[in-house]
Amino acid sequence: MQHPQQFDVIVIGGGHAGTEAALAAARVGANTLLLTQSIETVGQMSCNPAIGGIGKSHLVREVDALGGAMALATDEAGIQFRTLNSRKGPAVRATRAQADRMLYRQAIRAAVEAADNLTVFQQSVVDLDLVDGRVRGVDTQMGLRFRAGRVVLTTGTFLGGRIHVGLENQPGGRAGEAPSNALAERLRALPLKVDRLKTGTPPRLDGRSVHFSAMEVQASEEPRPTMSVLSTQDVHPRQVPCHITHTNARTHEIIRSSLDRSPMFTGAIEGIGPRYCPSIEDKVVRFADRDAHQVFVEPEGLSTHELYPNGISTSLPFDVQLAAVRSIAGFERAHITRPGYAIEYDFFDPRDLQPSMETRCIEGLYFAGQINGTTGYEEAAAQGLLAGLNAARAAAGESPWCPARYEAYVGVLVDDLVTLGVTEPYRMFTSRAEYRLRLRQDNADQRLTEKGRELGLVDDARWSAFAAKKRNLDRGAAVLSGVVAVPGNDLARALVKATGEAIDRPVSVFEILKRPGVDAGSLTSVLQDRGIAVDEPVVAQLEIEAKYQGYMQRQDEEIARVKANEEVALRPNFDFRAIAGLSNELKDKLAARQPATIAQAARVPGVTPAALSLLLVHAKRDAGEQRRA
Amino acid sequence: MRVSGADLTDIARLIVGRLPAPRHAELATFADAEGAAIDRGIALYFRAPQSMTGEDVLELQGHGGPVVMDRLLERVCALGARLARPGEFTERAFLNNKIDLAQAEAVADLIDSASKRAARAAMRSLDGEFSARVNQIDRAVLDLRVYLEAAIDFADEEIDFLAESDAAAQLDAIASLIEGLVDESRRGEALREGLDVVIAGPPNVGKSSLMNRLLAENRAIVTDIPGTTRDLLKADIEIQGIPIRLTDTAGLREGGDRVETIGVERARSAMAAADLVLTVEDASVAAIGGGSESGGLASKFDPSTGRSLRVRNKIDLTDEPPGDGGDMVRISALSGAGVDALRAAIAKVAGVAPGEGAYLARRRHLDALTAALGHCRAATRRVDEGCGDLAAEELRSLQARLGEIVGLTTVDDLLGEIFGSFCIGK
Repeated sequence: MQHPQQFDVIVIGGGHAGTEAALAAARVGANTLLLTQSIETVGQMSCNPAIGGIGKSHLVREVDALGGAMALATDEAGIQFRTLNSRKGPAVRATRAQADRMLYRQAIRAAVEAADNLTVFQQSVVDLDLVDGRVRGVDTQMGLRFRAGRVVLTTGTFLGGRIHVGLENQPGGRAGEAPSNALAERLRALPLKVDRLKTGTPPRLDGRSVHFSAMEVQASEEPRPTMSVLSTQDVHPRQVPCHITHTNARTHEIIRSSLDRSPMFTGAIEGIGPRYCPSIEDKVVRFADRDAHQVFVEPEGLSTHELYPNGISTSLPFDVQLAAVRSIAGFERAHITRPGYAIEYDFFDPRDLQPSMETRCIEGLYFAGQINGTTGYEEAAAQGLLAGLNAARAAAGESPWCPARYEAYVGVLVDDLVTLGVTEPYRMFTSRAEYRLRLRQDNADQRLTEKGRELGLVDDARWSAFAAKKRNLDRGAAVLSGVVAVPGNDLARALVKATGEAIDRPVSVFEILKRPGVDAGSLTSVLQDRGIAVDEPVVAQLEIEAKYQGYMQRQDEEIARVKANEEVALRPNFDFRAIAGLSNELKDKLAARQPATIAQAARVPGVTPAALSLLLVHAKRDAGEQRRA
Repeated sequence: MRVSGADLTDIARLIVGRLPAPRHAELATFADAEGAAIDRGIALYFRAPQSMTGEDVLELQGHGGPVVMDRLLERVCALGARLARPGEFTERAFLNNKIDLAQAEAVADLIDSASKRAARAAMRSLDGEFSARVNQIDRAVLDLRVYLEAAIDFADEEIDFLAESDAAAQLDAIASLIEGLVDESRRGEALREGLDVVIAGPPNVGKSSLMNRLLAENRAIVTDIPGTTRDLLKADIEIQGIPIRLTDTAGLREGGDRVETIGVERARSAMAAADLVLTVEDASVAAIGGGSESGGLASKFDPSTGRSLRVRNKIDLTDEPPGDGGDMVRISALSGAGVDALRAAIAKVAGVAPGEGAYLARRRHLDALTAALGHCRAATRRVDEGCGDLAAEELRSLQARLGEIVGLTTVDDLLGEIFGSFCIGK
C-alpha cells in the first residue's frame, strides 16, 4: 500500500548521520520522515561510548554551530569530560566526553520527537522507487510505499553487514541486529562503485568482575569543558572516572599463538580496516617489539556495570578473547558480557557524490555516514547534517550549500571524500586541514552560525546567544586596540611587571597580546585593576586571534587564490579527455572524479600548476561556447 | 624582462626611480635596493587594462647577460614579484579577455609546450646530486613532521612524541642542510664569477686551432692576453653571456725535454684548478685505433665529476657528423663545424642551457629553498616558544616549498608515515 502522506525528504537510518539529517531537514522546514529499523536504537553508539577527541570535537562544534543535536546531547549524557592538547596551541585543542549510552540515546530521541516537521516510522527499507534516474520514494519490508523526491541513505554498517568472531561469521548489521541485505542488493545494481570496509569492537566486560585498584584512574577535568557553546557544566549528569590498564607479554603470547584462528590473518576478512584503529592482533603482529599496549577502560553508563575496554578490539575466537582479557592487570577474573567482533560492510565510493552529498547518478538520492566510507559518530553527524540540509533545500528548489576547506572541518571532510575517495575508513585528523589554525573549536560558531542562521538551521535561542558573544568580542577588540601602553606610563609599567615583556614604544594592548609570553589572564587583571572593563573569556578569545593574526594574513592570500578558482565552475559532463597537453593518467583521474570547480581539480593528486592553467583556459572557452550556444 | 600584475606602480618607482609615462619608452637606470645602478636601459610601462596581459605591465630592456639579468630579477622578486609560470603571460592575457576565445586552443598549446620545456629544463637543472640533496632535506622534514603531527593528532597515546623528536636539534640540522645547498647552488651557477676552461690533450690534436676558433668567433669582445709563460696561453671570451677564462696548454706527453716537462707540470695544475677541461683528441688517430698515448694525463681526469668534456677534433678528415653526441662533442676547428654545439655544451656546464629554461628553473629552485629556510628558522623560534601548532604550521609550509622542487608530500603520505612508525589507536 502507499502511505497517504507525501514527504519532502525521507531519511533512512536513525544513527548519528540519520538523526542529524532528519533534524536538519526538518529544521529548515522540509516535511521529513525518519525511517528506522528500530526506534529503540535511534542515537545508538555502536562503538565506544565517547564523543569528541582531536579533530572530532572540531566537527561536533561545527554541527553545534549549525544547530545540530550532537553537542547538546553529549552534554546531557557526558559522564567524563576532558580537554586534549591543552598545551599545544588553541587551534588543536579539543574536547572529549565519555557518554552514557542510554542517556545519549534518550537525548537524541527527545530531540527527534520534539522536532517540528519530523515524523518517525519503524520499518526496514527494502527498495528505492526510482523512475528515470530519480528518486520518487521507498518501499519497506511490509510492502508500504512512502513517497518523497529526496531520500537520504544513512545505513551505517548495515549494508551487506557480516560479523566475524573467530572463523565463524554470519550476516549482521550490529551485534544482535539484522543487516539490510535486500537494500544492499538493490543498491549494488545501481551504477555506483561499491567496496568493502571492516571495523571492529572489543569484548565488553562486567564491571563487577574487574579490579580497578590495579589500574590508573582518570577523572573528569574541573572545571569541565562543555561540548556545546550553549551548555554549561550544570547540565552534565554525575561524573565517573575512566581507568587505564595495559596488555602484557603474556597477552601478546596468547594472541600470537592463536593467529591461525583469526579471520584477519587467515584471509576470511577482505575489507580494509583503519590503520589508526587496529585490532589488538594487528598491533601485536605489526609492533612486535612493544611489550604493552594501553587499554582505556570506559564506563558504558551510570545505570550499568558494563565496561568498554578500548584498545583491544578483536575478531579472535571467544576462548582466545577470554584468555587474553584475563591476562590483563585488573581483568584477571573479568566476565565478558559481549564478545568482540569484526564487521565487514558495503560502502560506496564517495567520489560518486557531489559536495551536496547527492549521488551523481540518481537525482534526489543522498548518502551520509559510514555508507561513504567514513568512520566515527562525529564524521557521520557532520555529513548527515549537510545531506539533510541539502535534500531539504533541493526539495524547496534552492541550491546546495557546502562550506569550503578554509571555512570548516565539514568542508575538509566532504572535499576529501568527493575528490580523493577513501582507501580505509576515513577519520578526521587536524593534520588533514591545511587551514588548521583558523578552523578551531573555539571559533566554530564565529565561522558558521551566521551562515547557519541564513540557511534556516539556527533557531532564535542560539542566534541571540551568538549575537551576544559577538557583541562582547567586538567591544573587547575595540577596547584592547584603543588602550595604548606608552613606555614609562602606569599601564606600561604594570604590564612589564606582570608579563616580563619589554615595552619600548607606544603599543596597543591588542599588539601586546600577540607576544608569545603574554597571556589573557595576567593582561585582564592588569586592565581590570585600572578600571578598564574587560572579561577574561573575551580577552582569552581575542588572545587566540591576536597570536594567529600573522598566520591568518599569510593564509588569506592563499585562500583568495582558492576562492578565485572556486568561482570557475566545470560543467558536470566537462570533457577532460579532450584537453590536449594533459597526460593520459591525469585525464583519467579527472574524468573519473569530475571536479566541479577548478579549485577541486587543483586538489586531485598529480595536478600540476601547468595542468591547472590548461584547465582554466579550457574552462573559460567551454563557458564561452555554452553562452554562444 | 616583463613584469605583470594588478598594481606595479611601487615596483616601477623603486626600480626606475619614477613612474614612467604609460606607453612611452623611457631611458632609465635600474636601481638595486641601495640605489646603485644594476643596468641602464629602456623602461616601458603599460597601465591596466591597456596592456598585453590586461594588467599593469612593466618592461625593462637592459643590456642583458645572465649576471645583470640575475640581479635585476632578484631585485624585482624582492619587491614582491615572482617568476612567471611557463606561458603565464599569455594565460593571463587570455583570462583577461585580451585574446580571442577562438585562440584558446593555441594558448593551451603554448602553455603546454612551454611547461614541457620548463619541465625538461628543470630536469636538467635538477642534476642527480642536487635533487638527491633536496630529497634528503625533504625526508628530514617529513621525519620531524611525523613527530610533531603525531603529538597533535594522537595526544592521548602513551608516546612522548615531542621529547622523542628532538625538534630543536633536527631543525638546526635541516637549516644547515638547506643553507649549504643554497650556497652551493649559488656558486654552481657560475654566472657571477665565470668559468675556468682548460683545453688539454696530446700534442698535435688541434688544441691551438680550437683556441683560435673560439677566439676568432669572439673577436669583437675578446681581449688577447699574452701567456704568462710561453707554454700557457690565456684569453677571456664570453659564451651566452657567461665570462669564460680560456687556457690553452702544452701538449700532454710524458718524457719530453726539460722545458716541455715544466709545461706539462703547468698544464696539470691548470687542469686541477679548472671548472671544465676540454680533452681534445684527433679523430683521424682515433679512427685507426691509435691514441692510446693520448689518454695519458687527460684520462686521469675523472669525467664523472662533470668537469671534463671530450672533444673529437679534425672530423673533416673522417667525415664524422659534427655535434654533441652525448659522450663527446665532434668538431672541426678548421671548418668550424660542431663548434656551436661545443659552445652550448660549455654553457651547460655553467648551468645555462640553451634558452633561459634551465636558468629560470634554477632560480625557482633557489627561491623555494630560500623560502624554505625562512620557514625552518621560524619553526625553530616556535619550538622555543612552545607553540607546537605554529611550529607544525611552519614545517607544513617548509615542506610545501620543497615540494615545488621534488614533488608534493600529501597528508596521506604523512599519515602513512605516522601509522607506519608508531602503534597508534585503540
